[in-house]
Amino acid sequence: MEILHNLAFGFEHALTLQNLMFCAVGCVVGTLVGLLPGLGPLATISLLLPLTYSIPVGGALIMLAGIYYGAQYGDSVSAITMKIPHASSIVACIDGYQLTLKGRTGLALFTAGVSSFIGGTVAIIVLAALAPALGKVALMFGPADYTALMLFGFVCVSFVTTGSLLNGLSMCLVGVLLGQIGTDVNSGVTRYTLGLPFLADGIGVVSIALGCFGIAEITKNLDSGEDRSPFRGKINLIPTWHEFKRIIPSALRGSVVGSALGILPGGGPVIAQFAAYALDKKVSKHKKEIGTGAIEGVAGQAAADEAAARTSFIPLMSIGIPENAVMALMMAAFIIKGIQPGPNMIAGHPDLFWGLVASMWIGNCFLLLLNVPLVRYWLSVFKIPYAVLFPAILFFCCIGTYSINNNVEDVLITAGFGLIGYIFLRLELDPAPLMLGFILGPMLEENFRRSLLLSRGDLSIFVTQPISATLLTLIAIFMFWQMLSFFLRAGKNLVVPVAIEQ
Amino acid sequence: MKDRNLARGVVLSGIALAFGLGALKYPIGHLNQTGPGLFPLLVSSVLLLLGVATIVQSFFTERVRVGFTLKNIVIILSSLCGFAVITERVNMIAGIIFLVFCAMLAASPYSLKRNAAIAGVLIAIAVAFYKLLGVQLPLY
Repeated sequence: MEILHNLAFGFEHALTLQNLMFCAVGCVVGTLVGLLPGLGPLATISLLLPLTYSIPVGGALIMLAGIYYGAQYGDSVSAITMKIPHASSIVACIDGYQLTLKGRTGLALFTAGVSSFIGGTVAIIVLAALAPALGKVALMFGPADYTALMLFGFVCVSFVTTGSLLNGLSMCLVGVLLGQIGTDVNSGVTRYTLGLPFLADGIGVVSIALGCFGIAEITKNLDSGEDRSPFRGKINLIPTWHEFKRIIPSALRGSVVGSALGILPGGGPVIAQFAAYALDKKVSKHKKEIGTGAIEGVAGQAAADEAAARTSFIPLMSIGIPENAVMALMMAAFIIKGIQPGPNMIAGHPDLFWGLVASMWIGNCFLLLLNVPLVRYWLSVFKIPYAVLFPAILFFCCIGTYSINNNVEDVLITAGFGLIGYIFLRLELDPAPLMLGFILGPMLEENFRRSLLLSRGDLSIFVTQPISATLLTLIAIFMFWQMLSFFLRAGKNLVVPVAIEQ
Repeated sequence: MKDRNLARGVVLSGIALAFGLGALKYPIGHLNQTGPGLFPLLVSSVLLLLGVATIVQSFFTERVRVGFTLKNIVIILSSLCGFAVITERVNMIAGIIFLVFCAMLAASPYSLKRNAAIAGVLIAIAVAFYKLLGVQLPLY
């Protein structure tokens, strides 16, 4: 009953004309960004961050959240119609594009729209029920536990986003080191500023995000130089009743999988899609058709995608630790607006928390409206050639970075990170963990130093506290397993040539 | 660099060394009274370990060439830097015009008419930001 009361309270805040408008703007921009190449949700959120300075807190958060889940959706539209995922909808390419090849694009888009709606709705119920409860657990966390939790998050994110613990973890640590630039809060010493006064406040999160994700991506797209052929097929949206019945069970399965995986550290939409797709392949009634253009192959993953995009807010808002790079950026947005996400947020700012939760459901309705009946208009976006698009994106990057501090030096820093991001891209190092490391770095240092202060310099505090000990053990097991599997593989590679020589 | 895995390890170790040696300049302190240098030193030591591990690993894995094309990144970066310098010295409208005309060198075919149209639209957007949203831009 309490949930209903809280949700009603949230809708009261989300349904004001102003907040409805912010939610709609967020969804529209998000969908557009998901459709277009060259700007992912990370770059867009950082781009719009400076523009939200003048907007009230609630509206700004509602809009930024809308961009995130809107982009997840828009991405699946371009994946289904043209087999080009930009941010994360890799799985939608499989069955969704197969359906397009069969001439059933409309069915695939309808399925994705309805399943996303179901996924989002289930996730919001989970969010409303779980976040306050988890917030109470978070109050038991001490600084040592927070340190261990962040390290655990690094390990999970590294493994999930890059597939290689070594690369991902390295990028996290590079991010932490970049976060060290600026003034040390404990002692007032300026670190790594090279004597440049504008580095004393540290590097702006917007500069790093736009450099690594905006500029580096643009250059990569220009390098590959391929021209996209716009979608010209027919779209017939209305499915038969028989087809509609096939959507529901799969979408519900996907929602549950997505909600659960969205909460775990390192989780989020990408891994949720894969898990939901794999589950459908195992248990669906039509499992033989999956992979060749089955409704279930689209429904499950689309529901999981949207569900995970929403439940990934749970760790951020109840524990105060973002679980992936986009959430880390959302945390930066919260802090810029003067709100510390964490166990005290729900009690301290109930209007913001419940308003945001309610706005997510309203955003769901917007997305359904935008994407199912209006989808053919969206597809005309693809007729814009990339040569027209990329100067515009560059322009927005410049304006975005400039307007944070009204400072052209920020534009130069962004250009510098564009170069660094491009080198990382070419070396196949994923910048997403870097972003997480950069935002969590200062928190990690503070909690680490605070735990040492509490234990009077005794490092054993990290293994005597039960929560931190458990998390560190998990990290150790994970690392050991990774090393073992590498040596086993390397061993096989070495054995083969020796055998041939003999 | 012919080997991407090796290059990756070298870059990571380089970053670790740069930050690690830098950290030695700041007071390290003791464990119970940590100084500003301790945490970056710790982190960069771990990163150095990971970098060295990447280098070692590269000898056991297949070599992959690094595909690095200089042209586009140079064009994009110089258009950004030019934008920054011109905005500071002249004004932002001139900066935007330079940004578009320079960045378009990366696109083919190069068409002055199209560039002018894009620059015009972007300047209009900038003016709208300035007048309607109140974003402070040194337009003229």
